[in-house]
Amino acid sequence: MASFDFIVATPRPHAEELDRGTRARRQRRRKLLIDLALLVPGAGFLLLAMILPLGQLILASFGLFGLGAAGHFTLDNYIAVAGNVLFTSAFRFSLQIAVATTLLSLVVATATAAVLQLDFPGRRLVGALYKIPLVVPSLIAAFLVLTMVGPGGMVARVLQPYGIRWPSLLHDPSGAGIIVVLLWHNVPITILIVSAVAAAIPRPVIDAARTLGAGPVRVFTRVIVPLCSPGISAAALLVFIDAFGTYAIPSLIGPAFPRALSVTMTSEFLLHARWGTASALGVAMILMTGMVLALYHALQARSRLLSGAVA
Amino acid sequence: MNGLWFIRSPRLRWLIAALVLSATLVVFVFPMVVAVLWSLVDPAVGWFPPHIVPASLSLANWQALFAVPELSQAFVTSFIVAVLVTLLSLALGFPTSYALARRDLKHRRLIELLVLLPLTLPSVVLATGLGSIFIRLGLAQTLLGVVLAQCIVVMPFTIRILTATLSGVPQDLIDAARNLGAAPISVARCVLLPMVLPGLFAGALLAFVGSLEEFLLSFVVGMPKIETLPMLLWAYLGGRSSIQTYAAVVSLVLLIPTLAMLFVAERVLKQEHLAAGFGKG
Repeated sequence: MASFDFIVATPRPHAEELDRGTRARRQRRRKLLIDLALLVPGAGFLLLAMILPLGQLILASFGLFGLGAAGHFTLDNYIAVAGNVLFTSAFRFSLQIAVATTLLSLVVATATAAVLQLDFPGRRLVGALYKIPLVVPSLIAAFLVLTMVGPGGMVARVLQPYGIRWPSLLHDPSGAGIIVVLLWHNVPITILIVSAVAAAIPRPVIDAARTLGAGPVRVFTRVIVPLCSPGISAAALLVFIDAFGTYAIPSLIGPAFPRALSVTMTSEFLLHARWGTASALGVAMILMTGMVLALYHALQARSRLLSGAVA
Repeated sequence: MNGLWFIRSPRLRWLIAALVLSATLVVFVFPMVVAVLWSLVDPAVGWFPPHIVPASLSLANWQALFAVPELSQAFVTSFIVAVLVTLLSLALGFPTSYALARRDLKHRRLIELLVLLPLTLPSVVLATGLGSIFIRLGLAQTLLGVVLAQCIVVMPFTIRILTATLSGVPQDLIDAARNLGAAPISVARCVLLPMVLPGLFAGALLAFVGSLEEFLLSFVVGMPKIETLPMLLWAYLGGRSSIQTYAAVVSLVLLIPTLAMLFVAERVLKQEHLAAGFGKG
């Protein structure tokens, strides 16, 4: 009896090794299962919510598995998009608006960020107030801006007694009204990012430039702006993506022709139930956004090299 | 960089202050005042140019919020959807945040990127794909469809906030509680929960406001059966027929929770919870 106990209590070392191995493996599997169970409701939901619409979009653009689709592989949707001036002009119009908004908001935001670096009375109040548009949705931004600069807006009313006719920004074929609203909405986030990066520039770098004889303007253009370029390109990316895809603003105040890409896309499937062409336009929009993302990463990699030389 | 390295004259400083302050007021504060005025315009008199201030004020447009069926209905729908989106995005997002913040994940970076992906995709593209899938699944023009669609764009924010909060809880405290004999359940209830409550609150607020303001996905998925306040605002701003006074009322109804959120965020919460949610990308 006693000898039997002895055998059971101390198994052979080889068996123990094997046992530890399976136990570790079982533990690892248990951990993996728990991780999966935790991730499925949130990350899993988002994964599904990305894969399904994007997959549907790409398939439908090639005439597969879409509502009212051909049912076999075809490039008809792309041919229809490329050959129709309605669509090509929409792409060009959205691109123009996005580029103009991005460049203008960078110029305005960099200048404002520079002014906000100065020490003047009331600076904290300005610093708090300019952040208002960050939490205002774009539809309300459109309303707020139009009450000021739109037809019958406050600016037009103030100028009227002096005989000055304020240009109507509504349905303007150049897209000026859209750009003004987009600027109001996007300049604050640009200021926020650019001034955060500017604040991180080490003071000795600027002092050194000053000591070596650079004037304030030269310091700004040759030292501060280049060192801010990671922030500037990140802000540019955000603004471009927002301006290129915006729907609410151009659908309300955009011209009848050309229309923004998003407006054309939406009316394709909402009004005409042509999901195929809408999907092809969507793929074009993703490709454009992807190209800008790639450009951003290239710029980021380059500026990392540059700032490595300074730090 | 503490400014004033090229401006020394005090008179110039005051000039800059006056210019910047008045520009800020005109660009960012004045439109809010005009919006309030528009919401108070007396519909019997109107507010036509060249009047700088409305000739007579009334609360008629605010009463319309309850008297006009489509307004009151959209009001109720918007708030029901917002509550559901808040609850759902917290319930679905919390486990993922917990895993991201406190568990040793193999592909953490990849999962974090995946969670942020919906924010980089133009929402009109998402709407196009989602629109036809929801029609196929029978979710188009249903409350559930709108709630699910909004969760896609709201949840990245809640997950980010909750992850930031959960990773801020010191492991020592949990170890100490366990060491002193607390069961996992009571550790969760008495240690973890009180510490993440501000973050949960911040996440809930952000989800609520995000849902209240979401327009395009709800528009594509819900139209015309489910109508939320932003969809009505779009209609009043000229999407259907222009009604400036109602547009003002709806704008303000949507802005009040947002501004309240900012105020609460400043006062009650630690800045970083909201900063984690606001910082895009």
